[in-house]
This record gives sequence, C-alpha cells and structure tokens, in this order.
Amino acid sequence: MSLEKKYLFGKLKFLWVLAVIFSFVVFVRLFHIQIINHKHYLEEAESNRTHVIYKVAPRGRIFTEDNVIIASNGPTFSLYYLPNARKNIKYLNELAEDISKKINKNKDEIFASLKKANDTKRAVLLGDNLSPKSIYTYAELKDAIPNIEFIENTKRFYPFDNMASHLIGFIGVIDKKDWQDQYIKSNYRYDNKIGQSGIEKRFEKYLKGRDGGVFLEIDSKGRVKNIMQSRSWRPGADVHLTLNHKLQQVAEEGLKKSISGLGAVVVMNPQNGKILAIASAPSYDLNKFVSYYDENPSGYVNTGIMEYNLAVKGLYPPASVFKILVSIAALENNIINKEDEVLCKGSLWLGNREFGCWKTHGKTNFWDALKHSCDVYFYTLAQKMGAFLIEKYQNKFHLSEPTYIDMEGEKASYTFGPKERFDRKGYWYAGDNLNMCIGQGELLITPIKMAQFISAVANGGKLWKPYYVDKIVSQNGKTLFAEKEKLLGDAKIKPETKQIMDKALKNVVDAGTGWAVNMRGVDVMGKTGTAQNPHGEDHGWFVAYANLPDEEPEIVVVVFVQHGKSGSSGAGPVARKILNEYFKDRV
Amino acid sequence: MKPLNLGIKRTTLDITLLAVFVSLVLIGTMAIMSAVSGTSFAEQILRTHFVAIILAVVVFILSWSLNYQVFSDQWKVLYGIMILTLIAVLIIGVSDRGSRSWFRLPFFSIQPSELCRVGLIMVMASFLHFNYRRIADPQVIIKVCALILPMFALVMMQPDFSWVVITFPTIFAMLYASGVNMFYLIIICGYAGISGLFPIMWTLFDLKPDLLDYRVFSFLDGLSNFGWNTFIFCGAAIVLGYLVWYSLRQLRIMAPTFYVLLAVTVLLAGFFSGVFIDKQIKNYQRKRVEAFLEPTSDPKGAGYNVIQSKIAIGSGGFVGKGLFSGTQARLGFVPERHTDFILAVVGEEMGFMGMLAVLLLYLIMLYRVYSVALVSSDMFGFLVCCGVFSMFLVYLVVNFGMIVGLLPVAGIPLPLISYGGSNLVSSVWALGLVESIYARRITVV
Repeated sequence: MSLEKKYLFGKLKFLWVLAVIFSFVVFVRLFHIQIINHKHYLEEAESNRTHVIYKVAPRGRIFTEDNVIIASNGPTFSLYYLPNARKNIKYLNELAEDISKKINKNKDEIFASLKKANDTKRAVLLGDNLSPKSIYTYAELKDAIPNIEFIENTKRFYPFDNMASHLIGFIGVIDKKDWQDQYIKSNYRYDNKIGQSGIEKRFEKYLKGRDGGVFLEIDSKGRVKNIMQSRSWRPGADVHLTLNHKLQQVAEEGLKKSISGLGAVVVMNPQNGKILAIASAPSYDLNKFVSYYDENPSGYVNTGIMEYNLAVKGLYPPASVFKILVSIAALENNIINKEDEVLCKGSLWLGNREFGCWKTHGKTNFWDALKHSCDVYFYTLAQKMGAFLIEKYQNKFHLSEPTYIDMEGEKASYTFGPKERFDRKGYWYAGDNLNMCIGQGELLITPIKMAQFISAVANGGKLWKPYYVDKIVSQNGKTLFAEKEKLLGDAKIKPETKQIMDKALKNVVDAGTGWAVNMRGVDVMGKTGTAQNPHGEDHGWFVAYANLPDEEPEIVVVVFVQHGKSGSSGAGPVARKILNEYFKDRV
Repeated sequence: MKPLNLGIKRTTLDITLLAVFVSLVLIGTMAIMSAVSGTSFAEQILRTHFVAIILAVVVFILSWSLNYQVFSDQWKVLYGIMILTLIAVLIIGVSDRGSRSWFRLPFFSIQPSELCRVGLIMVMASFLHFNYRRIADPQVIIKVCALILPMFALVMMQPDFSWVVITFPTIFAMLYASGVNMFYLIIICGYAGISGLFPIMWTLFDLKPDLLDYRVFSFLDGLSNFGWNTFIFCGAAIVLGYLVWYSLRQLRIMAPTFYVLLAVTVLLAGFFSGVFIDKQIKNYQRKRVEAFLEPTSDPKGAGYNVIQSKIAIGSGGFVGKGLFSGTQARLGFVPERHTDFILAVVGEEMGFMGMLAVLLLYLIMLYRVYSVALVSSDMFGFLVCCGVFSMFLVYLVVNFGMIVGLLPVAGIPLPLISYGGSNLVSSVWALGLVESIYARRITVV
C-alpha cells in the first residue's frame, strides 16, 4: 500500500507544481495589468464613468495695431435635459411644446429627445448653438424646469463682418478624417470648429482655448448618477496685428466704391515691411460661417463665398508702373540724359508693326515721359538700353520670386526677359523689348509683390518680407509669438538715382497722371498704370509712397482695381482716401 | 518508564486550512457586500449569503466530525441519491436564466448539481479505491465512464455547461492521480478535444468567412450539414484507419488492432459529439468563444465583459480604490459582479494586494489539501483529497485565467469568494471532508 501510494504521491505533486506554475503566470499577468498598465486602465475607467457636457472656450481675439478687436467671441447657449425622476408622457408633451416655442425647433423632435431622456435616464441635448437674444427666456425655462441644464458656450464673432476677411480666414467643423488622423491627439472633439484658412488656421494652436465643461458621473447604461464638477474654460491667446483699423476700413470702402468694386489694396511701411492694410474685393461676411441655430436653422451658408484673395493671388501686368524699374535701370547705368527729348507722334513703328502710345505727347524729355507716362519715350529708351539690362534689374528686385508673406496660396510673379526666353529655347524679338519696357507682355505681378517693389524704390532698394502679425499674447500676458522684420534682399539703388526718381515721381503726382493723390504738406510720389485687358475693361494700378517733407518715406500704397479703366481715375481716388486718412492728423 | 514525549501533539483540526478558507470567505463577503451595495437586490442577496454561511458552518462541523469512510462504504447509496436528485430537479426544479437547476425552498434555493459535484468526487474516489488492483485495465475506465455519463447527461439536460467545465477536468485529474493508464486518458482527452475542436472551428469560420476561400476549410465547414462532405469524411477516417493498420502490418510493427480501431472510433465519436455540441450550444456561449478568439470584434457585446473586467482590475492599481469605491463595478460596467466576476471587484477595490492575497490563500489552501492527502490513512482519503485539490485547482485556473484574459469567459463563480449559497456550502463540505481525513490520518507516533 504505502509503496503504491508513494508512486501516486508523485502524480499529485505534479498537479501541485502545475498549480504553482499557473499562479506564477497569473502573478505576472496581474503585475502587468495592475501595476505597469495601471495608468492606462485608470484613464479608461474614468472615461467610462464620466460624461462631459463641454463648454466651448472662447478663441483668442484678433486686435489691430490701434487696439480695435476685429475678431472676438459671442455667447451661444445649449440646452440639456438631465433626467431624474420619471415623468409622465403628458408632462413631457407640455414641456416639449413649451421649449419648442422658445428655441424655434420642431416640437416632435424635442418630445422625442425628452422621451429618450426619460426612458434611458441619459442627458440629452435639446438645442445647440442658440443665440443670446432670448437669454431671458432660457433663464425662465431653467427656473420653471429644474432638469434643464443651461450651458454657455462661445462662438466666433466678427464685429466688422467683412473686414479683412481674406486675412482672417474662417473657421469650420473639422473634417472627419483629419480629426481621426491628427486632431484627436491634441484634444479636439469631432464637433470642434477649427481655423480653415487665414490667421484662424495659421495660429490655430494659439487661438484655441481649453474647453470647460460639466462632468457627470454615469453608469454603464449612460444614466446620470450625479454631477461631479464643473470646470471653467481658458480662452485662447490674442493675436495682435500690424493692421491699422482705420486704414483697413478706408481701403475696403474705397475698393467697394470704385468703378468695378473689384480689386486689391496693400498699404505697407516701406522701412520694415509692416502691412498697414491689406484688402481684397469682393470680400465675404465672416459671421456667415458661425450663424446661430435659431436664426438660421437650415445650417451654415457657405455658398457664394469669394475666397479668392486678389492681393496675393491675383496676377496682372504691371503696365506703366513698370516704367519705374526701367527708369532706375537706365539712370543707374547712365544711359539717359534726362533733358534729351524724344518726339512722340502717338506711336512708334518697328518694322511693319505699330507700337502705340496712349496719346500724342510731342517733344518729351525724361521728366515729361514719366509724368505723362509716354510710351514712345520708353520704347526709344528700351531700344537703346536693351532688354538684358531690364531683366537684370527685374532680378535685382527679386521680381520673379514671391514676397514670402505668410498667407496661403501666394503666387509668384511671372517675369520674362531675353535670358529667360533663351533658357526656354525660345526666340527674343525686337518687339518684345518694347512690350517689356512698358510692363506688358508676359510679365504678371501680384499687388503684394508690387507693394514690396515700390517699398524698395522708396527705401533705396531694400526688399522686406511683408508681415501682418505683431505678436501673440496669452491671457496671462506672456508673449507666445513675435514676428521679426526680415530683409530678403537689397537692390542697392544709388542715392542720386533715388533722388531723381523721387523728383520724377513727385512730378507725376503734382502735375501728371497721379494728380489724384496730390496733397498739401505731404510729399507724395506716385505712378499710375493701365493694364491692357483683351477680355474687357482695362485694369488700373495706382502706386504711391509718401513722406512728410524732409523725412524718410513711411507709407506705400498700392491700389489695383480690376476693370478700373485707368490707373488715375480707377485706382487713384482709393489711394487718395488712404493717404488722406493716414496723414489726416499730421498736416 | 515514562512515555516518549516528542512534543508532537495529535491535533484533530488543521488550523491553517481552516484559517485560510475562513479568510477567503471574509474577503469574499466584503467583496459581495461592496458589489451589491446600492442595488435593489442587495438586502436579499446579503440575507441569503449569511444564511449560507450559517449552513456552511453546520455542514463543516458535521462533515469534519463524521468519519469520511462512511461515504466509501455507502457510495452506491450516495450515487443513487445523487441520480435521483438530478432527475428530481429536472422535474420539480425551477429555472433561472434558462437552466432548470434549482430547488426552491421557503427561504432560499438550492442548486443540487453543486453538491453532486462533491458527491461525485467521493463516488469516484470510492470506486477507484475498490478497483485499485485493476486500475490499469480498460474495463475500469469503461466502468468509470458508465458511472459518470448518467450524471453528465442529467446535468447537460438542465443544461449547465459550466458544471461540466469544472467537473470533467476534476474527474480527469482524479483518474490521473489514481494512476490510470495514460493511454486511456489520452483517448479521453482526444475525444474531449475533438468534440470541442469542431464547434470552435465552425465558430471561427463564422467569424472569418474569408477563410472559406480555401478548399480545405470550406470542406470542413460543410461537415456539420450531414451531406456528402460528412459521408466522405467518415469514409476517409475509416479507410485511413485501415491503411494505417495495413501499413503497420507490412512494416512488421505489431501494434494491437484494438488501438487503431479505438483511434478511428474516438475520431468519429468526437466528431459526432462535436456536431451535437454545436447544435446544442447557446448563442451567448458561442459569443463568448468568439469574444475569446477575437475580443475586439465586438467590444460592446460579448467582448465587453472581458474588456471591462480588465479595466476594473487595471484601474485598481496596487492598493485598489478602497471598498465601496470601485466605479467599474458599482456603476455596472462589470457584469455579474457578485458572482462570476467577483475577482474584478476584488481587483478594483483591493488592488494588486487583494488579488495577490486571494491567489496566495488559494495556493496555501491547495498546499494544505495536498499535505493532508499525503498523510491520509487510506487510499480513499487520498483520492478524495486529490478530487478536492483538483476541483479547487480547476476553479482557480478558470477564474484567474478568465480575469487576466488567458481563458475565455466561462461564467463560473470562484468558490468561497463569489456569492452563491450552494457553491459555498458544497465547497465547505469538501473542505470539511479534508479536515475529517486529517483528523483520522496516520499518526506519527
């Protein structure tokens, strides 16, 4: 017996060893789950039992240089029903009717929500994105019905509707795929709105605040057990722009009232590239993207929005404005004698082709040629100096490069010239010389590039990167971001040349095509341009820079009016208003 | 001459074993109280639990003081009573959650199958004890099968699959410990394995239909329809058996014909009972298998229990959230929290320390049962201890394996910890028997 039992003891011992081994495996697994992955499971347990009714935090505001808020936040309200004791159908029906009147929503829909809440004991959303107009009605509702929870959210509000719309951009709901791919990681919820373009997009991470919310404890069926805590929001950081509110307003109004109502304005400080106003028409009403539910229950209108920002995307021939560059090139290389005269007979024949002037100027010297924008004078000049030199100066002013302003979709200007033509294995014809020197032909330039170029003329050749953000300041006063001035290049115009150009361009304003911006007490240098447009009315350019007597130029204005007929009549008045506004208090 | 005094006292009660299982019941009671607090049925459950504890004390004292060998003598009577009870429960029992397995008494209900498990351990121990000299013969195995088959059949008619899940391995381990020929055990294992494999395979095909693009799998999938596939399969099994037998002959390997015949029979029998199980299995049970095969396939459905109980114990951390403060269990994320998933409550509220305590106490308990087996005065006592040891081991493996995600959800409570009066009483009865064996052990002096 005992011997046999001993043999069997071994078998039982084997089972005991199995028990120990299994326990060890369990020990390791438990250690892994409870100690190593504790944090992860604790988070899961917390998210299991909490349901958060979020309060959307205000986005950071956008200020202009003169401290006007052009993008702020308005209140919006959500109505939640938090069920507790079971209510009868009749009561719910009455409640639904009551609420539906106050939030302009279908009664049946509300009744369905209430019934769902009553049956499942879950919190339901009755109305979202409600306007503050009827705030008293909501407060009344809350007093009358204790189960109504009344959540204040914020939403974007633009006090000046259309102002700087292309620059500010707009906000919208996150694309579902983008949300899953990237935003979910940085605490965005699927129904959060984010910047979709412009400043709203570029500075999204600064503008976004931290949402607050009401934390509810729920059980596995989603039934509300109690309200745990309420966390307040933290607003996003404010963006301070270099834009001047007044100038921006004048620029936009001016464009709107111009002949066609289409075009772009860029106002810039030539000494550092700071943009004082940038406008593009047509613009759009930013508030349309964030309308209230009870004002616009059908949803958000985003049809018919002109997102095309002419100031950085519109490419047009610079026309006579280009004569400034040709003149600088000629002066720098001593090609012209300023007093030599050319006879303008209204056109110039090259072979069997006639190159016209916009009118017959008669005997014209350098001053007159710029003053009255005589094409024939420049045709003659171009033949004398050759296109290579003009092309060289084009490159000196980085004309073929973009300005690198931080705006989406900026287009690089399109330049042409003999060298570029040879590189493409094309031919350069004598006629191209003439087209080039009056800014026609293949040369296309954006208004922002034009502003950079004119700034360079005004400041002696320095090409600044245009910028529009001064700094971004968080709610506790910390500067999170500050833009630095950036010099992109220097065309190094000789002081003598600059002097001559200043004089010539002042002449244009005082006694020539730039009469529109003639101002007392301010030295205004300007040039007009009328770009031929085979598809319709000609486009008008007006460029100017100005300074108080014996001071450095401090403002550059570039106005482009699409189908503006001519530079002086189409674009001139807009420029004048801007300059008037700028110097108004100083002369 | 003075008697030799070696300082050895003859104790009649294994204090360690008693202390361990009393501690387990205490931990369990705390966990149950926490799990049910705040629910509408809390009062009723706690009342039943305390009644069960009182009953358990009585049963413990009785079985400890009674000579366990009585059961060996009267095993046929015991067996008869068990069969009659199981038949009775099918007739006059009441159903709860689809199983007709309860006797309703004025104050509480009794689940006789739980008590029958301990009874079966004793019947088996007794039978094996009497047949010990012939233990290696196949007749003994056949008789054992004949003994347990009626009970299994009766319980399956309730139906109570989880009883089978615990009892079958227990009996198997007892047979192994009593020294039955390994070949027969392998045959039984193979039969059980094959009959379990087919339903699992078909479930897997349901889960991943693209597997059916392979000819082999689509052939296997069609087996359950009793069409041509089945016919070909059975024919192939017989022909293959014959070929193996014939080849062995030609190679002059004199394997008994009986073995080859047995192998083919087991394959076919396993297949047919697999078909039977597949037809019998309930939808929720299939879901559990699916959830184990692929937990993420249905996180809100069957996989939910596994995921939520894992979150529960994981969120408990080292010391737990404290009694009555576990959110996972109290807010209803962990299902069946006072019975099958009681360990989730322990893990969440008492943390790693609590889980370790339960695990260690269980190990100590197993060790004590093992020690008692070694000192038992007869073969019957040894085999009863083996049975009790195996039963608790299987419970331990199934429960802890499930909670840490090593095994599929079986819906089985953890004895001494979970709520369940019949289970508690029968567990304590088994431990009382072990104490009785201890009290009547071989003395050292």
